[in-house]
Amino acid sequence: MFDRQEQSEQSNPGRRAVLCVLFLLGFLVVLLRLFDLHILQAETMTKRANRQHHKTITLDSNRGAILDSQGRALALNLDVPSVYASPVSVKNPRSAAKRLSKVLELSRPALEQRLRGNREFVWVKRKIDSEYATQVEALSLPGISLLKEKQRFYPKGTLLAHVLGFAGMDSQGLEGLEAGYEQYLQGQARKVLLHRDAFGRVIIPENQQDSERLTGHTIHLTIDEVIQYMAEHALEAAVEKTRARGGSIIVMDPKTGGILAWTLRPTFDPNHVSMLSPGQWRNRAVTDPYEPGSTMKIVLAAAALDEGHVKPETLIYAGNGQMPISGTVIHDHEKASWLTFREAIQQSSNVVAAKTAMGLGKDRMYRYLREFGFGEKTGIDLPGESVGVLRKPEEWGSRTLASVAMGQEIAVTPLQLVTAVSAIANGGSLMTPFIVEHVHTTQGDNVWSRAPETRRRPIRYETAQTLTSILENVVEQGTGRAAAILGYRVAGKTGTAQKVDPKTKTYSSTKFIGSFVGFAPVEDPRFVMLVVIDEPQVPAWGAAVAAPVFREVGAQVLRHLRIPPQRGVDVQMAAVGNASTSMIDLAHVSE
Amino acid sequence: MTRARRFDGVDWSLLGVIVALLCIGVLTIYSVTANGQGSKFPIFAKQGVWIGVGALAFVVVASMDYHKLARFSYILYGLGLLLLLVVMLSGKTSRGAQRWISLGPVAIQPSEFVKMPLLLMLSSYYASQTRSGWLYRVIVPGLLALPGFFLILKQPDLGSSLSFIAIYIILLLAVGVKPKAFGLVLLTALMIFPFAWGELWGSLHDYQKERILSFVDPAYDTGGKGYQGLQSRIAIGSGELMGKGLHGGTQTQFKFLPEGHTDFIFAVFAEEWGFLGAIVLVLLFFTLFLLGLDIASKAKDMLGALLAVGVVGMMAFNVVVNIGMTVGLAPIVGIPLPLLSYGGSATIMTMAALGLLLSVKRRRMTLVQ
Repeated sequence: MFDRQEQSEQSNPGRRAVLCVLFLLGFLVVLLRLFDLHILQAETMTKRANRQHHKTITLDSNRGAILDSQGRALALNLDVPSVYASPVSVKNPRSAAKRLSKVLELSRPALEQRLRGNREFVWVKRKIDSEYATQVEALSLPGISLLKEKQRFYPKGTLLAHVLGFAGMDSQGLEGLEAGYEQYLQGQARKVLLHRDAFGRVIIPENQQDSERLTGHTIHLTIDEVIQYMAEHALEAAVEKTRARGGSIIVMDPKTGGILAWTLRPTFDPNHVSMLSPGQWRNRAVTDPYEPGSTMKIVLAAAALDEGHVKPETLIYAGNGQMPISGTVIHDHEKASWLTFREAIQQSSNVVAAKTAMGLGKDRMYRYLREFGFGEKTGIDLPGESVGVLRKPEEWGSRTLASVAMGQEIAVTPLQLVTAVSAIANGGSLMTPFIVEHVHTTQGDNVWSRAPETRRRPIRYETAQTLTSILENVVEQGTGRAAAILGYRVAGKTGTAQKVDPKTKTYSSTKFIGSFVGFAPVEDPRFVMLVVIDEPQVPAWGAAVAAPVFREVGAQVLRHLRIPPQRGVDVQMAAVGNASTSMIDLAHVSE
Repeated sequence: MTRARRFDGVDWSLLGVIVALLCIGVLTIYSVTANGQGSKFPIFAKQGVWIGVGALAFVVVASMDYHKLARFSYILYGLGLLLLLVVMLSGKTSRGAQRWISLGPVAIQPSEFVKMPLLLMLSSYYASQTRSGWLYRVIVPGLLALPGFFLILKQPDLGSSLSFIAIYIILLLAVGVKPKAFGLVLLTALMIFPFAWGELWGSLHDYQKERILSFVDPAYDTGGKGYQGLQSRIAIGSGELMGKGLHGGTQTQFKFLPEGHTDFIFAVFAEEWGFLGAIVLVLLFFTLFLLGLDIASKAKDMLGALLAVGVVGMMAFNVVVNIGMTVGLAPIVGIPLPLLSYGGSATIMTMAALGLLLSVKRRRMTLVQ
């Protein structure tokens, strides 16, 4: 049965052959199988491999930054921790939920529900404070991890809040520029390829988290943060000092229509909006029209001068301070018999304004109001703009023409008013106001640039010049003396409007809106500024509260813009201190 | 011995292939384990130390006369059995099996160290045995191997016990039995095995049983049907033609593939270096074995030939079964890939065995001179 030859290997080639064949066969089979797996099944196996360890989740897009005209950041993104779970590797959902809910202030049953099951990825709580993140990390619960998400952050807090608006939890713009420029600011949703290891632990490769390519574009504003701060600071102080309900300041470059500063009171911090109501973040300077009062006499004067209806030196009978009209009487604060048109504007005579308007007629008055942009949107690149209230002449009552001339029975937005006055400051061009100068990619490539846009020319250049000189008189000698800036030529107009009492539907005798709109320097206006103070609680008319704010901010802006003071300018500073009584220009109406 | 003569008969191509395989092993271990644990003494460096010790063993064995070693083989085998007894009585238990003896910072695996004495013993038995017949050809050597086999199976270490029995069968084939007789031996072994297995099965804990079941039968695996084997095939297949590169193997880097640095090191290598890499690796082993068989065929005596065939056969069995289980052709029985898999005892034993191979070759050269 057995090989009885006692021979060495060499002498028995048959046996050796059997061993070798077995040996060769083994290797051949292995090689064939490798070919099968590596080549023939490669695609299937690669797919299976990817399915095992790849899972895509979508993270918030990385929004672009918002910068001021000098490149200072007004809105940017911060990395904030978010807690997520891979329920497949959560060992004890009950205790994990219990411990997590305590740290993160979440409902325990709801969290436990989410931690159960076989999903690879669920959010536990997103965008949390880093101290909570540290606590979660300290728990070191299996299956619970942190990743970095992008949180919108407004480093200057309340600065420019109403213009910037804010972005929501999912990084979508909800208000203000954040909403209006969503198409540029929003980055592409970041699809993140999660790697999942055999224990279901999710691994997010670091290099995937920030892709410049996917980041939204950067927008550069016309806003100058320094001027903005000056306006914010002055308005804050004025509102506090006069215990006013609120206020607003808009500063515009009259040559382009670019907004230099824009501030409202009361304000809010866009970093903490969850507890606020829309009334607090609404950009009231574009959404809420108000009755402007005497500042509208600028438009009346522009119309009358441009039509040649009056000249600055035309004498008009001022009726000794009163004029009956449609069963009511219009009063002036300073009783005069005859006034030149220039003097009438200087003193803000209601009687002369009403008379001039009636001389012009409804249609011409209406046409100029429309020409100056009232009753239409300015076209600013901010959402929610109101057209104001300007009825058609056919719907005007018997008194409306006179009222409109004094800034009543018409409602305008502060932006409309600033834009209209800019058309006088720049020599007659009504501009489209704007706030975004250009849009860049994160690499600095230009995506979109703004070119200043003239909507139309409501008045001739000469009219603008003439009106400017009248408005300069207002500041030099008239109701606007408190707005005068030492060393500079300033033009402007005060305005005080009674607010309509919502209960009685009549003009309130205690609630006013005081305002001042003006520009400087007269020879080459660099800014137009409107200051509005809502319901000041001091025993003084609106002009007295708004004009000093204009002066304070204006002086700082001129210095900031490095505009040298003019010598020999006759500025009547003496009158400023005790001007309150002489500056009453209330469009006072008695029934 | 002069300096010149000391290197006489050294097979440089054999050495080259061995060094290449060792390097591939260290590189692959590095790739699997470099991520994650920031240990002061990483695993691939440990493997480097084992290779150093193995190189020493290789030189010592290669420079010795294998006849002298064969003379001590019964004593060595006896010592090996003693170590296995020590393991059974006081060994270190890890993952449900008692396989190691702790020696300070390291643990040795005696089952690896009994293999070479068994090879030496059986070879010298067959070389000196002049009588033939069932009793002397099959029964007596089988009885000699049996205690070691059972002690290893009892640990339990299925892989080692299988390669233990493989040595016996390879030598049986080498000395020559008729196919019919060989078939009978195999049949007997298969019949005995369940009984032996059943005997020790009852003495195991449930968790050990579960581990062994999933070890023996991948389908039993709690992690899914044939988890390890499937993961291994996915790793290899997704390596495609060119591989995913060093550290690029997603299946191993993300720990889908367990035992990436030990039993499934081939799958790691195949995932990261693709079909081309895998072929190079398989061809390296093939070359190693051809060189070994060449030494066997030119051995000056029966003992040398048997030893060389035994070394080649033992390694080839391990290589084929290991790669076979990673590609899904063989059951997963826990046999490491020689020269590549991480493990001190196996590396040292394999290198010592290769030293024996060189020793056989050098005797032949001396004879020619």
